[in-house]
Amino acid sequence: MSANTKIDISNINKQAKINTVKRLGKFFGVRLIMLFITVVVGVYITILVANMGGYVDTIMKAEIKERVNMQVAAMTANKPMAPDARGELVRQMTELEEERLGLNTPFAVRSINFLKNALTLNLGRAQNMVSDHGSRAVKNILLERLPATLLLMGSSQLILFFTTVFLALMLSRAYGSFWDKLVVTLSPTSSVPPWFYGIFSILIFAAVLKILPFGGMVSAPPPKGTIPYILDVLKHLILPAGSLIISSFFISIYNWRTFFLIYSSEDYVDMAKAKGLTSRDIERKYILKPTLPNIITNFALMLIGLFTGATLTETIFLWPGLGRTIYRAVGLFDTPVIVGSTIIYAYLLAFTVFFLDFIYAVVDPRVKVGGGNS
Amino acid sequence: MSKFARNLSMLIVLVLFGVALAACGSTETPVVPEEPVVEDPVVEEPVIEEPEEPVVEEPEEPVVEETVVKTERKGGWLDEWIFTVADPAAALTQIKAGDIDIYAEGLQPAMAQEVKDSGLAYKTSQGTYFGVFFNPAEFADGSFNPFGNRKIREAFNWLTDRNYFAQEIFAGGGKAKWFAITTEWPDYADLADKVRKLESYYAYDPDKAAEVITTEMEGMGAELVDGKWNYNGEPVVLKFLIRDDAARTAMGNWTSDKLEEIGFTVDRQYKSGSEASAIWIGTDPTEGNWHMYTAGWGASVINRSQANIFQEMYLPTSQQGISAFFFNEAEPEFQTLGDDLYNAKYNTLEERHDMMSRALELSLQDSLHMWWIDSTEFTPYRTDLMPVADLAAGTQNRVAPFTLRYEGVEGGTVRWAQQDLFAEPYNPVAGTNWTFDQAVISATKADDVLYDPYTGLLHPVRLERSEVTMLEGLPVGKSLDWVDLDFADEIVVPDDAWYDWDATTQKFITVEEAGVSGLTAKRKSISYYPADLFDTVQWHDGGKFSVADMLFSFILTFDRAKEESPIYDPQAVPTYQVFRDSFKGFKILSTDPLTVEVYRDDYSEDAELNVATFWPSWQSGELSFVNGATSYLAEEAGELALSSDKSASEEVEQTSYIGGPSLEILEKYLDQMIEEEYIPYEATIGEYITKEEAVARYEALKAFYADKGHFWVGTGAYYIDQVNMTEKSLVAKNNFNYVDFADRWDMFATPKIADAEIDGPGQVKLGEESAFDVYVSFDGDAYPANEVKGVKFLLYNAEGVLVEVSEAELVEDGQYIVSLTPEMLEKIGAGSAKIEVAVVLIPVSQPTFTTLEFVVVE
Repeated sequence: MSANTKIDISNINKQAKINTVKRLGKFFGVRLIMLFITVVVGVYITILVANMGGYVDTIMKAEIKERVNMQVAAMTANKPMAPDARGELVRQMTELEEERLGLNTPFAVRSINFLKNALTLNLGRAQNMVSDHGSRAVKNILLERLPATLLLMGSSQLILFFTTVFLALMLSRAYGSFWDKLVVTLSPTSSVPPWFYGIFSILIFAAVLKILPFGGMVSAPPPKGTIPYILDVLKHLILPAGSLIISSFFISIYNWRTFFLIYSSEDYVDMAKAKGLTSRDIERKYILKPTLPNIITNFALMLIGLFTGATLTETIFLWPGLGRTIYRAVGLFDTPVIVGSTIIYAYLLAFTVFFLDFIYAVVDPRVKVGGGNS
Repeated sequence: MSKFARNLSMLIVLVLFGVALAACGSTETPVVPEEPVVEDPVVEEPVIEEPEEPVVEEPEEPVVEETVVKTERKGGWLDEWIFTVADPAAALTQIKAGDIDIYAEGLQPAMAQEVKDSGLAYKTSQGTYFGVFFNPAEFADGSFNPFGNRKIREAFNWLTDRNYFAQEIFAGGGKAKWFAITTEWPDYADLADKVRKLESYYAYDPDKAAEVITTEMEGMGAELVDGKWNYNGEPVVLKFLIRDDAARTAMGNWTSDKLEEIGFTVDRQYKSGSEASAIWIGTDPTEGNWHMYTAGWGASVINRSQANIFQEMYLPTSQQGISAFFFNEAEPEFQTLGDDLYNAKYNTLEERHDMMSRALELSLQDSLHMWWIDSTEFTPYRTDLMPVADLAAGTQNRVAPFTLRYEGVEGGTVRWAQQDLFAEPYNPVAGTNWTFDQAVISATKADDVLYDPYTGLLHPVRLERSEVTMLEGLPVGKSLDWVDLDFADEIVVPDDAWYDWDATTQKFITVEEAGVSGLTAKRKSISYYPADLFDTVQWHDGGKFSVADMLFSFILTFDRAKEESPIYDPQAVPTYQVFRDSFKGFKILSTDPLTVEVYRDDYSEDAELNVATFWPSWQSGELSFVNGATSYLAEEAGELALSSDKSASEEVEQTSYIGGPSLEILEKYLDQMIEEEYIPYEATIGEYITKEEAVARYEALKAFYADKGHFWVGTGAYYIDQVNMTEKSLVAKNNFNYVDFADRWDMFATPKIADAEIDGPGQVKLGEESAFDVYVSFDGDAYPANEVKGVKFLLYNAEGVLVEVSEAELVEDGQYIVSLTPEMLEKIGAGSAKIEVAVVLIPVSQPTFTTLEFVVVE
């Protein structure tokens, strides 16, 4: 009887493991396929939108014609040229430029090539843009700007995230206090965009007080030596990072505080209070722990959001970041650069979403990966 | 804290914040950098009698040549020239805060008042010129297009109040424009009397416009129904593509309002540049997607002869490749005249003058382009700085490295801000040609000739003199003494002149070898370089300038366009073809001193622009043979390409001597050249340089690269000391080894624009002779007569109609007399009258106008 029972239990455990592996395999397989399809669809939509469904070809051809005419006019100034020769020159230069940009290939074909290259992370070469160092490789264009963006976005968003979560947690335990009301009152200030704070702070700290720079990432020319260089970068970072932080500061505290409040009023928190636990223990064990999946999700999404840059703030402060690069790429209809930045973000997002499922299961025992309705 | 106190304190915080927000309410919307499309033109303003801004307004006292202290300093005036970037919206504030010293790119006319109120010094330069471009095509769907009718287009000249645009929309940051020729360039000055007459005739007169338009519309079968033009029972709707920048939107709206007042229905379509060009350039004009477009054009080089402009801007033979031109059925006389002017079918400059004069008149009758305004851009800078602004390129010009300085100071640092830097790779042959990058390149570059910023003529820099022989009958003249001009009945190219390049044997093919003996050319030019050229000129790396440098660039012109060449580049072919069509032969007559002779068919009407130049100067910098050789080897190996096209097709990086992935590759080939004692195109260049000399040059560049971290070398007044590409800054330092003293080009410090005054009786009698004195001066001194091309006067009657044009007579330097005969006064008649004097100068292209009103009595 007991032997049979052992065998049965062993079989059941074995079967359970097999089932778990099957369930996980199926879940992750389906999940990966769905995420991949989402990425494909998202990137292709980006390609279509960036090219206005192919209409950009017409725009670019017209721009080429206009540009070539200006170039030829400058080339032939003071050197009269026979009309036919000039016309031929314009035609040849126009053709070369159209060929360089691939405009002699139908957009439908090019769009598939863009998609294929993007999915295989073959970022290729930009059509109009070059990196600051003169490279046309999309990889170089993006990588060159990445450190500056990560510095600006990383410093501002990490400070913003941790300070606001920390303060919100405190406020959730002091509902109705002066500080709580102050934060609630000031939260609409976040309707003002960061570039506004940027201009405002430039006026005060650069133009009037002259204690901080107008913009850029470092002085021109940059100081020699590592330490002076780092200090100079930090000085240039204060205003743009400050603008990004201040513009979201109060609304972020307000959001988190409201979120924590819901958990703070749970019965088990009251029970903990009644048991005489310290505030710190209550915050850590009874409020933070059940909210960890949400916090981690926000944190992960914030991390990948760092890669997108902050277009207007970077523009105001002439910060050499990815946001300005992508904005410029959109203006120049430089599809490889647009697609390059999109696919990186799309893959990062997909992998983040994928791995968050694991993380939820680790930090919250209530979550069962692939459990679903079964 | 009581609840009341808490609420109160919160209220105070809110109020303070609200005040702060309100205080910022007027802050400008951030200006994002414009996408670079084309270079903006920059031309200085003319001095005219209107109570507008002066040409070049600088709060500081003008510096006259005599006050400039002679110097022993070589190179440029500055010790350090820092290039950086700034947002145009913040430029004024940054200069005032001492963060930058000059914002070298012109600020838009919309900022005119702000610039003037800033207390900073500034230069004005001509920006984009605007107008309406009409679609003259007959629409395929049968819908009505009135703009196939020239008279309706012409009537727009009376419908448009250009002075309102200049004063109100541009706030004084623009000048009324009637003609395609550029207001401050030589042709305008040459035709000053004619343009004034036409400007007077086509002055704002909406009633006349309405009258002409009504007559023509009715003639074409349209009818006015309830105040609206209808055709075949349908309202006449004009599709007006209005660019979405502030100035063009305002002018487009104003014009639309006027059109609606006289019965048209206007479909105002506000478009960005890209959106609009996709329609007005990108669609077939017969599809009827547009009737009118708010065109904007520009130029970046002074064009001393704009004889081509009528064909380009009006005629169906325009080679701009924009299909709307093809549908313009021009007046036959205008068509012939425009084509003849384009093809220089005139024998004398006087004949050309008459043809241009008539073409101006016909262009207004055609008005395929109906011009609105020459906009003005503003370059602000601190008051003790002395930049020079040229007619076409503003402060970002070729003479800047030789003239930029602080007043009365030798040395110092200038922080020169621009919109951008490093837009494309730096290589002289096919690298960046953005204006902001050209500013850097110009700082490092020298040449054998230098463009005059005020006339567009060439001055010798490293040339001693030049001889130009033109084919008899060609309309060529000269203005400066350093060029000798003569004419010959026939110019035969010698058999031993180089005619072509054999990319396989790497040798030149002579005229005889090419089988074209007896070849003739329209011009022969001989240039003489100084005897100490190769002793005094050196590159920034210390390497001695050599004839090999000059020869390498000359060969490259051919070699890149030859399919047999290892560095064949299709992008080089179109421009090479233009060169090939004109080039007939070249000879090095002597290397000590260097003397070269060139035979060509293309020519300019100015002998100074027809001289032979042999400097290794390309559109984007100077090319030493050392740098040329490294990039040659890299391109041959398929690792780099000079042009963007080839770099795209070969999927390799474009060569950049200043930074990026190119540097490592170039360094590799430099080492290889040292090791192999390599001489590029050895079969030819080997005759002019030894292996030891070549290796010495390579070692010099290697040492320079080790020190500075880049390969960008020129022979100019400044060298690049630091490049910070991601940080967008660059430091150029004075090249104390430069050949010339810093004051060599001080003649350009202040444009010699004349001041003119008329003095005479306030009242003259009909039937009697009368005289008016004209005083022409510069900075208080009489303007030398030999620098004045002519002084014309124009007489207007009480209605403002031009009744007489004639020449003033020279009395002495700076003084002329205008004599009014009884016949002239008779044409004016009794009543008020106006005399306008136009002074046409040689040192600057801008004519000076001045007026005096008087009364004619019985």
